[in-house]
Amino acid sequence: MSDGIDNAAATDTLDVRVWRGDERGGDWHAYRVPAAANQTVLDVVTWIQRHREPNLAYRFACRVGVCGSCAMSVNGEPRWTCRTHVQDAARDGVLRIGPLRNLPLVRDLACDMAPFFDRWQEAGGRFVPSSDRHADIAAISPESPARRIADAAIQCINCAVCYAACDVVQWKPDYLGPAALNRAWSLVNDERDAGNKDRLRAVAGDAGCHNCHSQHNCTRYCPNQLDPGASIAGLKRTTMKAALKGQL
Amino acid sequence: MRSPDTLDTDILVIGAGGAGLFAALHALQANPDLKVSIAVKGLLGKCGCTRMVQGGYNVALSPGDSVERHFMDTIIGGKWLPHQDMAWRLVETAVTRVRELENELGCFFDRNADGSLHHKAFAGQTFDRTVHKGDLTGIEIINRLMEQVRGLPVNRLEEHRVLGLLPARDGGGIAGALMTDMRSGEFRVVRARAILMGTGGGPTMYRYHTPSGDKSMDGLAMALRLGLPLRDMEMVQFHPTGLLAGPDTRMTGTVLEEGLRGAGGHLLNGAGERFMANYDAAGERATRDIVSRAIYAEMREGRTTPLGGVYIAMAHLGPEVVAKKFPGMVRRCADCGFDLAAGRVEVVPTAHYLMGGVICDRDTRTDLHGLYVAGEDAGGMHGANRLGGNGVANSTVFGGIAGETMAADIAGRRGALADPDPAALEGELDRAMAPLGRQGGDVHAIRDGLMDAMWDHVGILRSREGLEQGIARLGELRTALDASGIGGQDLRFNLSWHDWLNLDNLVTISEVICRAALSREDSRGAHFREDFPETGELETSAFTVVQRKNDALHVTQSPVEFSIVRPGESLLPAEAAASVAR
Repeated sequence: MSDGIDNAAATDTLDVRVWRGDERGGDWHAYRVPAAANQTVLDVVTWIQRHREPNLAYRFACRVGVCGSCAMSVNGEPRWTCRTHVQDAARDGVLRIGPLRNLPLVRDLACDMAPFFDRWQEAGGRFVPSSDRHADIAAISPESPARRIADAAIQCINCAVCYAACDVVQWKPDYLGPAALNRAWSLVNDERDAGNKDRLRAVAGDAGCHNCHSQHNCTRYCPNQLDPGASIAGLKRTTMKAALKGQL
Repeated sequence: MRSPDTLDTDILVIGAGGAGLFAALHALQANPDLKVSIAVKGLLGKCGCTRMVQGGYNVALSPGDSVERHFMDTIIGGKWLPHQDMAWRLVETAVTRVRELENELGCFFDRNADGSLHHKAFAGQTFDRTVHKGDLTGIEIINRLMEQVRGLPVNRLEEHRVLGLLPARDGGGIAGALMTDMRSGEFRVVRARAILMGTGGGPTMYRYHTPSGDKSMDGLAMALRLGLPLRDMEMVQFHPTGLLAGPDTRMTGTVLEEGLRGAGGHLLNGAGERFMANYDAAGERATRDIVSRAIYAEMREGRTTPLGGVYIAMAHLGPEVVAKKFPGMVRRCADCGFDLAAGRVEVVPTAHYLMGGVICDRDTRTDLHGLYVAGEDAGGMHGANRLGGNGVANSTVFGGIAGETMAADIAGRRGALADPDPAALEGELDRAMAPLGRQGGDVHAIRDGLMDAMWDHVGILRSREGLEQGIARLGELRTALDASGIGGQDLRFNLSWHDWLNLDNLVTISEVICRAALSREDSRGAHFREDFPETGELETSAFTVVQRKNDALHVTQSPVEFSIVRPGESLLPAEAAASVAR
C-alpha cells in the first residue's frame, strides 16, 4: 500500500492525490477511489480513510455547509469539501487534496484554526451590548441602510476559506484577514452595538484593513457568496473618516 | 502507557453547542473567578447540532401569545408525556433567553417591516411564535455565542473527546472525566467540582440521519454506564424529507426543509404518483410523524425511486419561484448535483432528534451529586414529540440554567477536589484502548449493520416481532464490535479509532432505544407500534425509564405527574375541551 494505487479500472475510479504529513514535512500520496454519481470531495477523503488509510487526519462535522470545519485545498483552491461535487473540482480527471494554507498544520488535511479565531477577537469581532435581557428587543427596520449593510456580511460560517485564499495573510501573518474584518464591518453597522470606538481603532491598526491590496480573492472564493472585499473597503472608508475627524 | 495528565478546574463543560456555551457564559457571569473548562469533540462552536438549526426558536413574545399557550402546545405536542415543570421552565425562560441573545450577544433575528421581531408559523403550534434568521437560525445563534465565549477566560479543550465520567473514590458524587486529546492521542483526567454534560444526542445509528457527523450518543452512553436513569428513550423523531443520494455519500440523510412541503411541494412515489392523500387529509402538509410513516409505508410496498425513497417535486410552483423562496436549499442541492427548483429530488425519512435523555430536575441536576445535564442529553421536556423550534430553545435555556446552578451549588466549596475512583478510571481506559491491540473485524461493516438494523426494526413503524429481531441483531453487532480492532497504535488524530468509539456508544444506546420501544405498548408521537396503534389512556400516561444495573438493562414505567395541568384541562380556559382532542 506504499503508493496506495490499486489495479481497478481507471474509468470507474478517480485519480486522487492527498497530501500527508505534519509541520515537519510531508508529501503527496496517490489513490484510486471508486467514482460515484453523487460524490463530494469529503466523500472521497472519507473513502480513503475508511478503506486505505485508517489514520488519515481530516476534519468535518455538519455535512451540509453550515459548520465550516471541512475546508481544504482542492486542486490548489480553498473550498468547503462537503458541498463540492467531485465533477466541479476535478481537473483532467485528477483531484489534489491538501490542507488549507496560511494556518498551522495539525496533520495531513487538518489545520489548527486557532489563529483564525484569534484574529476574529483582535478585530473586535464580538458584539458589545448596549442593552440587556431585561429590556425589550430593539425595533429596527430591516430596510434601514445600516442594517442592510450589516446583514449583507452576516452569513459567515467561519470556514477560513477566505483566510486561506488571501495573499496578504500569507505575507503578513498577523494581518486580521478577511473574515475577521468582514465581521467587524457588520458590527460597525449594527446600531445596537456599543463597541465601535475600540473596534475602529483595532481594524485601523498595523494589522488592520489598510493592509488589504484589494485583490478580492476572499470574495472570489467565499462559498457563501459573501463579499469580504467590499466589507474591508467599507472599513477603509470609515476608518479614514474617523482618522480625519481625530476619532481614532 | 504512562498515566494520564491531570488538570483541575471548578466547572467542566462537556460539549460546545448551545447548552455548553451558555453554561460557560452564565457560570462566569455568576462568578467571574471560577475556573471554567470546555471539552469538545470538535472545534468550539463548530461541531454539534445547534449550528445546524434551520427553523428557529419558539418564544411567546408577540402580542396575543402567552407563555401558557406555548406551554400547552408543548404538552399537547408531547402527547401528555412531558415533565411539566421542565416544560414550564423551558417556555418561561425562553422569553428572557431570546432577549439575551438579541440584546447581549448580538443575534439579529428577522424583523417585520415595522422593525418588530418576525414570528413564523411552525407545525403543531397554535400561534406564530418561531423567531428565526431566515432558514439558518442556528448559525446566527452559535456564531454570536462562540464569539462571546472565545473572548472569555475559559480553558478551551478543543478536539478533546470525553471517554468516560469518573465518580469519586469516596462515593460522594462525580469527581471528573477521562478524555483524550484527539490531536496528540494522549489521555487526560480533568477533575472538577461540577460537570455539565451537553454533548447532544443525535440518532446517528439509523441508516438515514440528519445530525452532525460527530454525534454518537457519547453523553447518554456515559450516563448509562454510571447507572443513571434515562427516560423516553423510545422517542426518536424522524424528519420526513432527508436527501437521498446513495450509500457512499455523507450528503445522504441531510434535511431538506419542512417549508418545501408547506409551500406546496409534492411527494411522489417511484411511479411518479402523489400518495399523501391516501394517508391523511392534509396531504403533504400533514405533520412530520404522519408524513414519515406514509413515506415509509410506500417504501415498504416497493413503490420507490431508483435509490429506494420517494421524490419531492417543486417545479409545478415555477422554478424561478422556488429558487427565490428557497435559495439556500436550491443552492445546496445544486452543489450536490440535484435540481430542486425544476427537477425532482429523491428523499427519505431521516432520524433527526432524540426526545429521550438523562433524568434531571428543573435546574439540570442529575441523581449524581455534581453532575448536570442539558440540551439533547437531558430528557423530559419534550415527552413523545418535540415541537419544531423547541430544540434550540431547550439547549440554550437549560444550558444557561446549568451554568447558574453549578456556580451557585459550588459556591463556598473551596477544599481539595475529589479523587476519581481508580477502578472506574481503569475501566474507562481499558474500554477506550480495547480495539488498539486487536486486528481484524470491519468497523465500517458493523456500522452499516447497525444502521440497517435500527432502520429496519426500530424505526418509523415498530412491532414486537421487529423489535425482538432488532435486539437479537444488536447482540450480534456487539459481539462483532468487541472482537474488532483498528489495526494500529497511533492515536494522533486517528479518526478510525474514534469511529470505533462512536460505534461502541451507538450500539449501547441503540439497545436502550430498542428495549424502551418494546416496553411501550401504545403509539404516541414519534413512537408507533403497528401491533398497538392506539394512543392509550392519557390519564394514566407513563414514561419509560431505562437503567443499567449489574450489566443488564432494566426498563420500568413511571407515571407522568400532571403537576400543572391534567388531560382535559388547559391553562387556556376556553380550550380545555380541545386539549385532549388535538
